[in-house]
Parts: sequence; structure tokens; C-alpha cells
Amino acid sequence: MAAELVFNCLLGLLLVFYLVQAFMLPPSDNPADVLGAGGFPIILGVLGLIVLLFVTLRLLRTRTATKIPLFELGTVDGRAVAINVVLLLAYLFVLDVIGFVLATLAYLPLAGWFIGYRKPAMLAIYTVAVTASLTLVFGVLFGVPLPRGAGELRELSYLIY
Amino acid sequence: MDVFIQALGEVFNPLSVVLVVAGTVFGMVCGALPGISTSLAIILCLPFTYTMTPAAAVVLLIAVYVGGACGGSISAILIKSPGTPEAVATTFDGYPMAQKGEAGIALGLAVTASSFGTIFSAVVMLIAAPLLATVALSFQSAEYFGLSLIGLSCITSIAAKDQMKAALSVILGLMISTIGIDSINGTERFAFGQPFLLNGINYISVMIGAFAVAEVLKNIEEYRHRDNTLHEGGRVSIKLMKFAEMVKMWSTFVTASIIGVIIGIIPAAGGSISSLIAYGEASRTHKNDPIKFGEGNPRGVVAPEASNNAGVGGALVPTMVLGIPGSPVTAVIMAAFIIIGMRPGPLLLREQPVLLNTVFLALVFSALLLFVGGRFVTRQFGHILKLPYPLLGPLIMALGLVGAYSLQNSFYDVIVMFVFGLLGYLFDKFRYSSPALILGLILGELVENSLRKQIIIGDGSAAGFFNRPISLVILVTAVVILVWPLIGAVLKKKAKPAA
Repeated sequence: MAAELVFNCLLGLLLVFYLVQAFMLPPSDNPADVLGAGGFPIILGVLGLIVLLFVTLRLLRTRTATKIPLFELGTVDGRAVAINVVLLLAYLFVLDVIGFVLATLAYLPLAGWFIGYRKPAMLAIYTVAVTASLTLVFGVLFGVPLPRGAGELRELSYLIY
Repeated sequence: MDVFIQALGEVFNPLSVVLVVAGTVFGMVCGALPGISTSLAIILCLPFTYTMTPAAAVVLLIAVYVGGACGGSISAILIKSPGTPEAVATTFDGYPMAQKGEAGIALGLAVTASSFGTIFSAVVMLIAAPLLATVALSFQSAEYFGLSLIGLSCITSIAAKDQMKAALSVILGLMISTIGIDSINGTERFAFGQPFLLNGINYISVMIGAFAVAEVLKNIEEYRHRDNTLHEGGRVSIKLMKFAEMVKMWSTFVTASIIGVIIGIIPAAGGSISSLIAYGEASRTHKNDPIKFGEGNPRGVVAPEASNNAGVGGALVPTMVLGIPGSPVTAVIMAAFIIIGMRPGPLLLREQPVLLNTVFLALVFSALLLFVGGRFVTRQFGHILKLPYPLLGPLIMALGLVGAYSLQNSFYDVIVMFVFGLLGYLFDKFRYSSPALILGLILGELVENSLRKQIIIGDGSAAGFFNRPISLVILVTAVVILVWPLIGAVLKKKAKPAA
């Protein structure tokens, strides 16, 4: 219950912040625009707080326990999810530095390994095949923009896609 | 009649067969890949049309459009990552079906429903295009507002487990839609000086995060405790619906197609809204089905797919007959048609009647060949389910990343995807509703803008919502749909103690 209570409190803070910001929006110059830029957000903020209050009161009454493996790092499942979240975050941030090809070549085998796949040779073949396919299909064939990285790597990426 | 026969000759010839097959398959592949929109697929085909006759070019572009509208369902069903916004509602029951080992049936249903919806809309268009276009143009802000409320009423069906949390999720989605420049008077809202927030938060990144990323995280934690045979060597066969099965669901096919055509005709309403409304309608009408909606009910796949493909024909009406493209895809189609020598607008029917009929006949032909192409393409994509999850999960993440990044060539969209991936994971744990959040985000702009525009038109008064007959009917319908489940629940509670 504690985790959900914290979640609801954070939502409440977000709603209050949103509402305060909405009240600070300037009224419209057009007298017919009675709601203005802030009217609709204010309605939403107030409605949101009322519904959240009901949801939280019901939670306190029923005391429903929720298991969230991501926060249970002592368990194997919890570690697998947490490591994958960290890996995904790292993948997103290195894309801008080393580009799509190298980042994907690093991310796919690591993520697969930490989820529980234990065939390194297969993992390596799969990684190379998927990275090459994604780059060719999206970057070359369809001309979809893919991250290029920085510096020399950026220049090199232009040779591929 | 001569015009119709001439158009038949333009569409049903060997070259057109090749073009329709190629266009449909290409459209489906693009629709299925996150990051490649139907508009992009049409643009990619455009250079090939320069040397074609106008009729052949029309056939190819229409086939791509039809294929793209259906293709989004493939990734929605297989990996819970809708390839196109129109396929959002397909994930609600399509993915649960895939989880139960019925991916092939779900894909078959999607293809069948898409074909039916397209043919239905083409027939309606052939008969009544000019009349329908005129009616659609009478829609003003009041009617749009009512329509968006009907769309929002879908929460009663897509999140039946916890209505209160679903309502909060919708409100959060609506709140996110207010981020960026206010389109009525240009005020900067909740952007905090950040340029990337000025255009608002793209709902496709949110969708990829809240659906696909969250689902991968959920599967990672469950991987060690479940039967993984489906993912490791399981065969995915695509089963098209038998005629007898189709007849059983005729009401869903027809109702969803009618909804798709009507909403498709209305400029700027779009396939994502029509598919959500059709889904909501199907779940209300068939709430006593043995398989609950959201848990793999086949009607939950049929309704959105029939509806969004019926919207293809519908959307072409104002584009062709009035020269008003109602969506980015029809804008691209219209531009393409102008390039190949067509002149969409009120004079098209008089000056180029053969081409107009060719468009609608090409729709029918593409829909018929969708069965063939659809079988082939969905089977190829179906192989993805044979991958062990430790290989499939990271692949979904990489595909999601490509989809989010390619929206605006921006890392901010990728970060949005990540943040909403975590939020979607927590939403799932705490029984909030990610589909309701997306619903609010998709409809938010339409709800607010139509509400404010109508009040401005009424010089500060809301009377316009009730003075206009169409608006009044739509609003009453929306209110009944929204309130009825609550009344039903209260009546049920009262009846229980009495029993």
C-alpha cells in the first residue's frame, strides 16, 4: 500500500503544481473567450484532485497491497527489470554519442543476457543481424532518421545511412 | 454508367493488379513498422508515379493508403506497439489474444475487418459522396465537441476494472495535451521555456512508452515464471475468418464501418477517434460476451479495424469532392493527386468523373487483395513471436526507440518514451489505465479547442451547443453513454440487497 500511497502523493503534488501554473496563465484578450488559456487546465486540475482524493481514500480504506518487482532489488526478477531499465536509459543516452549502430550492438546482447538468455554465440549472431537489418530497413531503404552520434562517428555514419 | 465502366477498365487490368498487390503489401509493411507512417509510405511511392498514367498512379497510392491503415494492427497485436495511431484500440484486445496464443486469429480478424471496412466505405462513397461531403461540412465546433465527448466515453469500456482510476488517467492525458502553445490565442502553457515542449508532447512517443516499453518491462519480470513455448518455436498461422463466423459478428462489422465512414468524412476527426468510438460501441453492445473486452474478445479487434479502414474511404470524400484534406495522410494524397494531374474539388465530379470513380474502385480492389497480401505480410511478421523473449524484448525497445526518434529527429521524444514507459509500468501495477491516458491525450486538443471555439462563436455563451440540432443529438448521446454505466451500477447495487 505504501508504494501506491507515495505514487498518489506524487500525483497530487503534480496536480497542485499544474493547477498553480494554470492559475498563473494570462486571461484572453478576446472577451468572448471566457475560458482563456487557463480555463480548461483549471477545470482538469480541480477534477483531477477530486478524483485522486477519492482514489486515495479508497486505498486507505481497503489497504490493497501491491507488489512491484522493480523496487525489490533483492529478488532475481526485480534485478532483471531494474538492470534493463538502467540499460535502456544508458542506451538512450549513448545514442547521441556513439550513434545508433554501435549503441544497438552494445545494448541488444547485454539486455538479452540480463533477461536470462544464455547462448552467447546465438546472441552475437542475432545482435549483428538485427542491428544490420534495422539500419538497412530504416536508415537506408526508408530514409528514416537514425541517431548518428558525435564527432568522427557522426561522419562515419553518413557512409552507411 | 459509361464513366463507371471506363473506371472499371482502368482499375481491373494486369498492371493495376501488380500495382495494387505491391502497394498494399508495401503499405502494410510500412504501417506495421513503428516510425514509418502511412503518409511517409505514400511519399516514398510518389517518385514511381511520375511516369505512370494518372489512373495507374491513383491505384498505387490508394493501395498504399489501404495497406497502411491495416498494417498498424500487426505490431499492435504482436508486440503491443501500434504501428499507426489508428491502431491504438486494436491493442486492447488484439494483444491479449496474442498472449493467449491466438495471434494468428487476431491478425486474420484484423485483415478481414480492414477489408470489409474499406469495401463498405467505397460502396457508400460511390453512391453518396457529394451529399455526404456537404453534410460533413455543416459540422462546427459544437458538433466536434460532442464527438470528442463520445470518444472520451470509451473509458467506460476500455477500463472496466477501475472506473475511478480510469477517469483520473483520462484527466492526466487531457492535462498532458494542454502542454505547448495554446492554439486559440498562442499563449505558452506549461512549457517552462523549453523549446521542445512548445509543440506539445507527441502522443506517439507516449503510446510507444506506455504500451510497448511498459509491456516489455512487465514481461521481463514474468519471464522466469511462465510457459515460454509460444515464443520458442510456436507456429503462428494466419486464419482468415470463415463466412459463417463473419455473419455471427455482422452487427459489429457494419456498425464499426458506419462509424468509420461518418467520422472519416468529418475533416480533422481521424481514424484514431473513429476506432476508439467503434471499440467503445462494440464493448457496450456486447458486454455480455463470454470473453470480456480487454481480455481478448475478437469483436475488440474487428470493431477498430473495420472502423479505421472504413475511415479511409470516408476521409477521401471531402478530399476529392471538396478539395479539403481532413488529415495529414489525405493532405499528402491530395498533393500527390495534384502532381499526377487530378484537380480535387467541387469540379472533379464534372471534369474528371472517371478518375473519381477510379479512386473508389481502387479502394474496393485494394481491399479485396488485402486478403491475399494481408495473409502473406502478417505471416511474415508473425514469425517474430517465435523469438525467445530475451531476444524479442530488446528488439521491441530498439524498434520503439527508432519510432520515437524518427518523429522529429529528436532525443526529447525518446526521453518521453522512456518516462512514459516507466509510468505505464507503474500504472499497470497500481491498476491505473494507460489506454485511458492515451485516449485523453489524443482527444485533449479536440475537446478544448472545440469547446472554446464554440463559446467564442457564441460570444461567450454556451447556448450554441444546444441550439444546433446535430450538436444536441451528439451531446445527448455522449452524456447517455457516459452516465449510463454509472446509473446501471447504482441500479445493480440497489437491486442486490432486494434480491
